Amino acid sequence: MDVPSFAPFASSMPQTIYVSPRSLGAPDTRPPSVDTTDLSRLFAGSPALAGVSLRIEAGRTVALLGPNGAGKTTLLRILATAIRPSYGTARVDGLDLDRDAGAVRARVSYLSHATGLYDDLTARENLEFAAVMLATPDVATRVRRALDDVGLANRADDRVREFSAGMRKRLAMGRILLGNASLVLLDEPYAALDADGMSLVDQLLSAWHEVGVSVVIASHTTDRLDQYLDGRVTLGRGLVATVSGDGVNSTQPSLIRNARRPAAQPIR
Amino acid sequence: MSAPIIEARIALAIARKDAVAELRGRHATVSTLFFAAIVLLLFGFALGPDSARLADAAPGLLWLAVVFAGVLAVNRLHLLETDDGALEQLALYPVPRRAIYAGKALGGVAVMLVLGLVVLGAVGVLFAVDIGSAWAPLLATVVLGAIGIGAVGTFYAAVTVRLRAREVMLPLLMLPVLAPLLLGAVKATAAALAGDPFGELGAWLQLLAAFDVIMIVAGAATYGYLLEDG
Repeated sequence: MDVPSFAPFASSMPQTIYVSPRSLGAPDTRPPSVDTTDLSRLFAGSPALAGVSLRIEAGRTVALLGPNGAGKTTLLRILATAIRPSYGTARVDGLDLDRDAGAVRARVSYLSHATGLYDDLTARENLEFAAVMLATPDVATRVRRALDDVGLANRADDRVREFSAGMRKRLAMGRILLGNASLVLLDEPYAALDADGMSLVDQLLSAWHEVGVSVVIASHTTDRLDQYLDGRVTLGRGLVATVSGDGVNSTQPSLIRNARRPAAQPIR
Repeated sequence: MSAPIIEARIALAIARKDAVAELRGRHATVSTLFFAAIVLLLFGFALGPDSARLADAAPGLLWLAVVFAGVLAVNRLHLLETDDGALEQLALYPVPRRAIYAGKALGGVAVMLVLGLVVLGAVGVLFAVDIGSAWAPLLATVVLGAIGIGAVGTFYAAVTVRLRAREVMLPLLMLPVLAPLLLGAVKATAAALAGDPFGELGAWLQLLAAFDVIMIVAGAATYGYLLEDG
């Protein structure tokens, strides 16, 4: 697949970023990237998600908006298979999260608030480990390229323990570049980043959009995201409050005023 | 590549990652070796200066020190995974759960092997026990014991790693399960040191091997559930 080119935003950023999506096909012929029905998640009896039915078509970049506690991170963690829903169903690329969790993991990359890096390993060692786990071909070349793409080539052999929060986040984005995801989930991707780091996120969003990778971004605001977004979903009190834009819809946008526990049986 | 080779590659990558982090951070080995040495010394003080009594008690003291220190070691190894969400990231990789278990257990077994051999040597010196004449059965006992403690510890460390009271919960869960291993290892060590006069050494080693197999199979089959956060 051709590598999309971008104008550099800053001198330390690379000329191009290599993203490696699976053979995706035309977006219109693919199943929805995200398809949830009455998705709910309880924590200690309190609903963090209270019945989200949401559909995001393939290849779209969608912002997940809402105040603190609205359920944005919970929804992303369920879609990433990090936690299971208490009720309801969810599909990624047509695959059920409960029954096909392994196949879903191969299609989803998730950047959370935590970076998932090992402090006592160097940046290169962290990415080499991730590359083995992600079955990335040609590990040495791809890791070198990813480090270059996220602007950490000159710190490749330093231990992550010495890195700032922004550098750690860049390295975590480098890990995503090693994968082969069709759906990327980003939780507050601009947090802790300097201007160069934010430009890196911008470039990644452009690159993923160009090759047809779906992106769901949890964020408080869309100021910087506007130019990349196909749609917006606003969550409130664990429910879909509003949806707008292309390729995203919900069957129950008005339920926020009638939040109640779904009647479905718990999965476990 | 075939599936077993891919899983072996994943397990080795995890074990290698743990080994590199351990060599740099010394999270598990140094502190647990000191702990084991202190346990041996305290047992020695408690039993008094009678060398015959110390030699008689040596197999039990050896394995109590290894098991106590082993609880600490496997806990320290799993604390690596609490670095900034590393355990969750490990669970999100599209790899078989049993390969993750195998990788973590390999690291645990390696640390336990080092610990067991060092403590065995220390027991030989401190309690004037002749370990040289029975080195082969003693080595087999240490290897089988290290595998068992590593396999059990990897499982229970994953159970407790997210708990605030993990330092208390891990020994509470692990030590009762390790009771058969402790019994088998002590009896095998005593038989080996005595020259196996009753021909029981083989049976105790078989018990240890059976324990290891059961724990490895159970751990590999259930580890995936432990990786999920609720």
